[in-house]
Amino acid sequence: MSTMVDPSVSPPTQIDGGRRPTTGSGRRHFFTWRDLVIPLVVAIAVGAEVYYLNTAKLSQIVESQMTFDRISDSTIEHVKLAFAVTALVLVASIPVGIAVTRVRLLEPFALLIANAGQAVPSIGLVAIVALVWEIGFWPVVISLTLFAVLPVLRNTIVGLDQIDPDIKDAARGMGMSPAGVLFRVELPLAVPVIAAGARTALVLAVATIPIGYFIGAGGLGDQLMQGIKLSRNQQMFAAALFVACLALILDWLGGIVERVLTPAGIR
Amino acid sequence: MIRGRRKHIAAVAAAVGLVTTAMSGCGLGEKDETTDVEAGSVDPTALEGVTVKVGSKDFDEQLIIGQLTLQMLSAAGADVVDETNIQGTNASRQALVTGAIDVYWDYTGTGWINHLGHDNPIPDTQKLYEAVRDEDLEENGLVWGKYAPMNNTYALAVTKEFSEENDVTTSSDMAEFVQQNPDEATVCLESEFAGRPDGWDGFQQAYGMEIPDSNLTEVGTGVVYTELDKGDTCNFGEVFTTDGRIAALDLVPLEDDKSFFPIYAVCPIVTEETDAENPEILEVLAPLAETLTTETMTELNAQVSAEGLKPEDVAHDYLQEQGFIE
Repeated sequence: MSTMVDPSVSPPTQIDGGRRPTTGSGRRHFFTWRDLVIPLVVAIAVGAEVYYLNTAKLSQIVESQMTFDRISDSTIEHVKLAFAVTALVLVASIPVGIAVTRVRLLEPFALLIANAGQAVPSIGLVAIVALVWEIGFWPVVISLTLFAVLPVLRNTIVGLDQIDPDIKDAARGMGMSPAGVLFRVELPLAVPVIAAGARTALVLAVATIPIGYFIGAGGLGDQLMQGIKLSRNQQMFAAALFVACLALILDWLGGIVERVLTPAGIR
Repeated sequence: MIRGRRKHIAAVAAAVGLVTTAMSGCGLGEKDETTDVEAGSVDPTALEGVTVKVGSKDFDEQLIIGQLTLQMLSAAGADVVDETNIQGTNASRQALVTGAIDVYWDYTGTGWINHLGHDNPIPDTQKLYEAVRDEDLEENGLVWGKYAPMNNTYALAVTKEFSEENDVTTSSDMAEFVQQNPDEATVCLESEFAGRPDGWDGFQQAYGMEIPDSNLTEVGTGVVYTELDKGDTCNFGEVFTTDGRIAALDLVPLEDDKSFFPIYAVCPIVTEETDAENPEILEVLAPLAETLTTETMTELNAQVSAEGLKPEDVAHDYLQEQGFIE
């Protein structure tokens, strides 16, 4: 292929398929109006639900359970759980992903464990961890971490594998050490793919946390399950909506972080 | 290409066929045990030729009651279909309303608060039963049969050691303990109990105690018992009074000395149409309901929850002992 393209003719932007923003007229803005869509939709949905909860005739149970204090406490707990899961997932899967791309022998073993974590029904995973350990915050975090490792691990492997060997060659040719190639070339170039996996993990975590209610996870799962068990549909709907909105917003934040971390050259 | 695809489809069909045959095989095998019942005091012709689908919720007491119902109806000549072990209260109720099942048993307190959507509990057993029976018939066309004398309600429980060490045997003792050791009282609750007006908030008010939310842990039903037993998370836990695990784990349910918790009776429920066509269903079940006292139910539950016996065997032995079946 390199024989077909005369480097003196093809513009440098062709290196990554032409997605690279050029200087001058073609320059893209870091933020665009599109970034406002998700927060706006979430704000409208939450606003409408809060308005409804404040004005509609609610069952006494719903009224006592869906107070501002309880909802904000639960939301904070939920966010803490989600961040703890995401942080642990990243800490566990990125180093393993890197190791696997250096020592290929490890790959089937690492993927076996990650696949198993996702394949076991998540509710079973929570129950097993609670049985052999205890109940509460950390057992839920650990079991959901096992559950959410796969997308990040796989994406780390794919993200590192998809880098053009010529680029790595060039980096080594410039005299970079293997660690330098990894940290200054490979990882930055793999950020978009790894981040896509991390965002999937975050959304999975937010949406799966409610099943941890039965081992005392806290979070919005308490309100959700209570609504389901007591047949209070207003509460069930509100809690489910808040969980969904939380997932959307955290995914949106993840998108911003991803963009910040992505090198300007491939943004 | 076409031939290849056809082969493929045939293979899938064969596989599916195999699996379904295997599954239905299992189902039939299990069913035989429960349907071969000979009538004792039950009139063996009461339900001849009638097919009855029996449902139940998914916990031990309900599984036992479901098996009792299956065997009673079977003894009365009905062709019974075992649809027990439905996940959750709402799904069970829905199954009855949609006709997926013909009969299941539910608790008057659940009917009043969960299904009929009321917020204020009725403390009197008979009045609660009448209120639920009348409203559910009028609004939803469901007929509640005669209730069993057993009382499956809530209680706070502690371990035997805790009870002896701290001299706590009643709910008032608990309030006193909380007053003296405000930081030490930790409580495990189910989310449902935490939200019910006849649950946690009302209980605290009735006994004049105030335990901070940070000392509460909301968990699933079964987890309350195991955590209470372990003692790491909580020293008080919300339990159901007839649960077999109370005896199995040596727990002490605290006496409700101010009679705060309403008495919740259990009744068989059928739809109006079913009752019009086959009033014998509720008639056959009425004498069974009469025998189900709190002690009896607790004992039967313990046989399943603690001793690991099968609900169908426990039900069979009980009905035989009572002379309903041979």
